[in-house]
Amino acid sequence: MRLLEDIFDRLRPRFEQGPLSRARPLFDAINNFFLAPKSSAPCAPHVRDPIDLKRYMTMVILALVPTLAAGVYLFGLRVLAVVLVSYMVGGMIEVVIACIRKEEINEGFFVTGMIFPLVLPPGVPLWMVALGIVAGVIIGKEIFGGTGRNPFNAALVGRCILVLAYPSRLNAFIEPASGWPGRLATYHVDAISSATPLAAAKKGALEPIANLFWGNVSGSIGETSAAIILAGGVFLVLVGVVNWRTIVSVLGSFAALGLLLGGLFPSHFSGAVGWHLLAGGLLFGTVFMATDPVTSPMTNGGKVAYGILIGAIVLLIRNLTGYVEGVTFAILLGNIVAPTIDEVVVRRRVRRLAHER
Amino acid sequence: MRLKRKGGYNVPLAGRPAGEIRAPAETDTLWLPLASRRFSFTQLAVGNGETVKTGQVLATDPANFDVPLLAPRDGTVRLGAVKGHLVLENARRGPAETPPVHGDGDAKRRALVRLGAWHFFEDAHTGRLPDPFVAPRAVIVSTVRLEPFLARGDAQLTGRLDALARGLECLQSLLEYQPIYLVVPDVETELAETLHENLRGLAWLQIVTIPRRYPMDHFALVARGLGLKAGGDGAVWAVRTEGVLAVDCALSESRPVTERVISLGGPAVGQPVHLSLPVGYPLEKILLGAIVEGLPRVLTGGALTGEALDHAQKGLDAECAGLTVLAEPKRREHFGWLRPGWNRASYSRCYLSALHRPRPERLTTAMRGEKRACIACGQCETVCPARIMPHVIHKALYADAIDDAERLGVDLCVGCGLCSYVCPSKIELRQEFLDAQRKIHEERAHAEAAKAEEVKG
Repeated sequence: MRLLEDIFDRLRPRFEQGPLSRARPLFDAINNFFLAPKSSAPCAPHVRDPIDLKRYMTMVILALVPTLAAGVYLFGLRVLAVVLVSYMVGGMIEVVIACIRKEEINEGFFVTGMIFPLVLPPGVPLWMVALGIVAGVIIGKEIFGGTGRNPFNAALVGRCILVLAYPSRLNAFIEPASGWPGRLATYHVDAISSATPLAAAKKGALEPIANLFWGNVSGSIGETSAAIILAGGVFLVLVGVVNWRTIVSVLGSFAALGLLLGGLFPSHFSGAVGWHLLAGGLLFGTVFMATDPVTSPMTNGGKVAYGILIGAIVLLIRNLTGYVEGVTFAILLGNIVAPTIDEVVVRRRVRRLAHER
Repeated sequence: MRLKRKGGYNVPLAGRPAGEIRAPAETDTLWLPLASRRFSFTQLAVGNGETVKTGQVLATDPANFDVPLLAPRDGTVRLGAVKGHLVLENARRGPAETPPVHGDGDAKRRALVRLGAWHFFEDAHTGRLPDPFVAPRAVIVSTVRLEPFLARGDAQLTGRLDALARGLECLQSLLEYQPIYLVVPDVETELAETLHENLRGLAWLQIVTIPRRYPMDHFALVARGLGLKAGGDGAVWAVRTEGVLAVDCALSESRPVTERVISLGGPAVGQPVHLSLPVGYPLEKILLGAIVEGLPRVLTGGALTGEALDHAQKGLDAECAGLTVLAEPKRREHFGWLRPGWNRASYSRCYLSALHRPRPERLTTAMRGEKRACIACGQCETVCPARIMPHVIHKALYADAIDDAERLGVDLCVGCGLCSYVCPSKIELRQEFLDAQRKIHEERAHAEAAKAEEVKG
């Protein structure tokens, strides 16, 4: 392993000066992927916690892997190709832009590149995946300064653009596999245009709730199995990477408002609140996208307000509009108001600080 | 009284000094630094080649109420031999002859300054030396020291509780009705119990317990917890165990305070101990043989707020409370971010160490990660003991909006360094905030000066 260190040390000068210096961020990223960075604390505190963004993002990836595995089982090996395209194209953009900006390559892209394919239908053409991740990463993130400065969830921006540009292709779903080994050995699946449970529900046919829970229903690659998504959510809450307040308030507001409106206006609102909680992208969006710390409010109080807003908007879109699903729009709307929510909460916190002065 | 406060964290750092206090062998040359963190002894009181007695004033700091630099031993003064130092040659122990202190409060206060006990006092909110002749609002006496690693109260109090009690009484005799708060840890140790038993009856003394979680012993936090806010009427004096013992030494025994108890700790120290040393004791002698790892970083102060020792400094300064020695990282770790981390203690719960209580670690000065943009994970906010939102303030400062940072309470930051410690994006939050505080302070001073000028004109 010493060898690796030597190799990087010998290569380093080439990337510090000369024509290759433009690729410095790429060199640093690869170098620091294998070996902890060389730097030591420049000032107090002179010791530092081991946590870094790589570890932090690794936790999210760990929570996402089971949903990806479920996607492969249900919809075939092509899912892996979709993820690969997303990673390769998205990664290339990240690298190019980091080199232009002369900034570090940010690990946040590993999460975006994984989440984005999971919210696409399994039959999505690969060129569309590439287009979506390019649009999402550039418009959602890079033009604002990259990870940490982006107001919108990049994966959702990509999905939103694809949904608006190619509505029919983005509504072409695949019938899920069943039994063992599912589609773990199948690459291509033809059976296009099966209705998702939410689309079927609009026509009055409710999928059994157990199927929604375990996931053998049609839908986007990662959104079908409520059980696996919830397990990922519990894991992320336990390791402290996502804030439980966001998850609880989105689901809580969706359920509470659903029960209320379902009771008051049964002709317009579906009363099957429990069923709706598990159906579609609500759980996936709540656990993996609404909780994105960068695009959600920074304050705990703000996270609750943001969650309530998202839950309510999803409910309204699903029940009152022509769209069968509203999670993408709801979270993006939440992203838009997040800074405003923060401002209100921060002002209240600042007023409370007066006790300390 | 029991103070509670959210936040704080005990960094699991190996190398905590043992409770005993050792006195190393005497040395015949002392290098007394003419400047330390707060003081600069510019007013020399002795000439080159002059023979001095123990306790004699060598120099004073005119900017700090003339606190003196005292001769810790008999010897011959050598000036200008080493830059920034006053060298005492042929140093040997001698009797400290000073007349007993009599008289009123002012005479006692003068004696405190003259005998070197006032060094140990600070203003709870600003950390600066308070004016000894202006009565304070209250006095906070702390026996707790939580930063890794600084001289601890419990080590110094073993067998010296009577001196503490006498020192507290001397301190009380300087006050009229103002309360003295004695800060003890909220755990039941033998020491805490004895303190309670011996001091409970005193009407002017209030015992305050604090959690044993860094930095709950910070004077500004204790003062805020007691409702003694900054900017109130009169200063809040703050002093630690060694200060009270110094008061006892000066006022009960009328002896000059020339020794300091320091801790020598950190992962790179073989046998972490407390040391009792005269000011000016050669740092080389303290460190030689004590350090087990090469390429160390020696800090005056603790690992979280200390400063790297100036290479030009040769002797122990008049304010040092501890030396912490950390190793610089030698090897780079492979796939550090991917390891399960059973023994990798972290404030976050992202390592397996979250499942148990990991033992103190031999940490180095490694950053253990790369600098990134803030992702608002909120760890700095939960660890912050000052109830501010470091990540929000960071964004304000990043946008150069120093007014916003002020509104968000950057002035409330006590500089404990925990936000920088836990930050996964490795942002130097502590440094940013201290810089901002300095800037705000300077601007205010500037504005006041301009105003005064206007009034004059």
